[in-house]
Amino acid sequence: MTMLAAMTLPAHLLAEARSRSGKPDPMEEGRFEMFYRRNAGGLWSYLFRMTGDPATADDLLQKAFFQFIRANPALASEEHMRRWMFRTATNLALDHFREAKRDRGYAEKNRRSEAGPAPEPREVLRHDMMKTFAELKPRERALLWLAHVEEADHQDIGEALGVKSKSVKVLLFRARKRLGELLTKKGLAPEVSR
Amino acid sequence: MSEACRYEAEVLHAAEEDRWTDALRTHLGGCDDCIAAASVAPWMSRFERISDREHMLPDPAIIWLKAKLLQGTVDTDRATRPLDLVQMLAYLVVAAGWAALLTWRWSTVELWVRSLTPSGVQDVIGAGALSMSFFALVFVLASMTVMLGLHAILAEE
Repeated sequence: MTMLAAMTLPAHLLAEARSRSGKPDPMEEGRFEMFYRRNAGGLWSYLFRMTGDPATADDLLQKAFFQFIRANPALASEEHMRRWMFRTATNLALDHFREAKRDRGYAEKNRRSEAGPAPEPREVLRHDMMKTFAELKPRERALLWLAHVEEADHQDIGEALGVKSKSVKVLLFRARKRLGELLTKKGLAPEVSR
Repeated sequence: MSEACRYEAEVLHAAEEDRWTDALRTHLGGCDDCIAAASVAPWMSRFERISDREHMLPDPAIIWLKAKLLQGTVDTDRATRPLDLVQMLAYLVVAAGWAALLTWRWSTVELWVRSLTPSGVQDVIGAGALSMSFFALVFVLASMTVMLGLHAILAEE
């Protein structure tokens, strides 16, 4: 995060903000709380759509904020901090999928969590949408959410996913095509008039 | 070529709200990226809006506290890393010492262990098969082993 701060501020401001020890002043709890209240909801929604599990989203959200506090981002602008959070959250979610792939019990756990009393119609809709989204690869989910919901540009998406921004256009096109095909298969695709 | 189409934002809004202008329709006729974007935009918009509000987010004060506690643990780990390294080195030295000592006098030690009766021990020592320096080394290594063991137990506690 020091690097992030260094990218954000001019050198003289950076030097001014450094304490005697040479480290940036730590973020205060009050400022963290304000940042959290403004951004945690959006970040949680992203993680929930990525993972499909509220408990996992909670877990990854906490991990992302732990890393955020440890990174000591006191000097960065809010927009930078937000982008940094999405990048960290994306990495954590992708790591989670890699670990889950190794863990054989994961599928079993997910299957168990689907069982339960009959859900309400709104819940059914959410469940169906989550299920459709879950059919995409994790990276495709991240691409679509960042592009459509966060309205991030290709450079930010590239940074979040650790790919070149030049590749984002192609990857996003493929992700949209894949989701489009899924929606068509389920009879949910809108008519796009040429 | 790497940038998004400049009409993409307008196409997304038009697709989400189903309000198309003639210009956008014409553009859509020749832009595959925008067609792909428009084909998923309404669904993504609905997907974004499905409510998460019933979910309580973790309390920021708790997250702050946990992060500070974790930071403390990380700092402690960093501070004790050299100590752990020395401890590891000591384990290796002691293990290597035992291995060297036993390799050096294995045949005599084996003989001694087999005849492990008070008279047998007297015979082996009396015959000068095992020198006093050997027993001194055994004593030193045994002491180091006990000290390391005690240190490990106390550190755990």
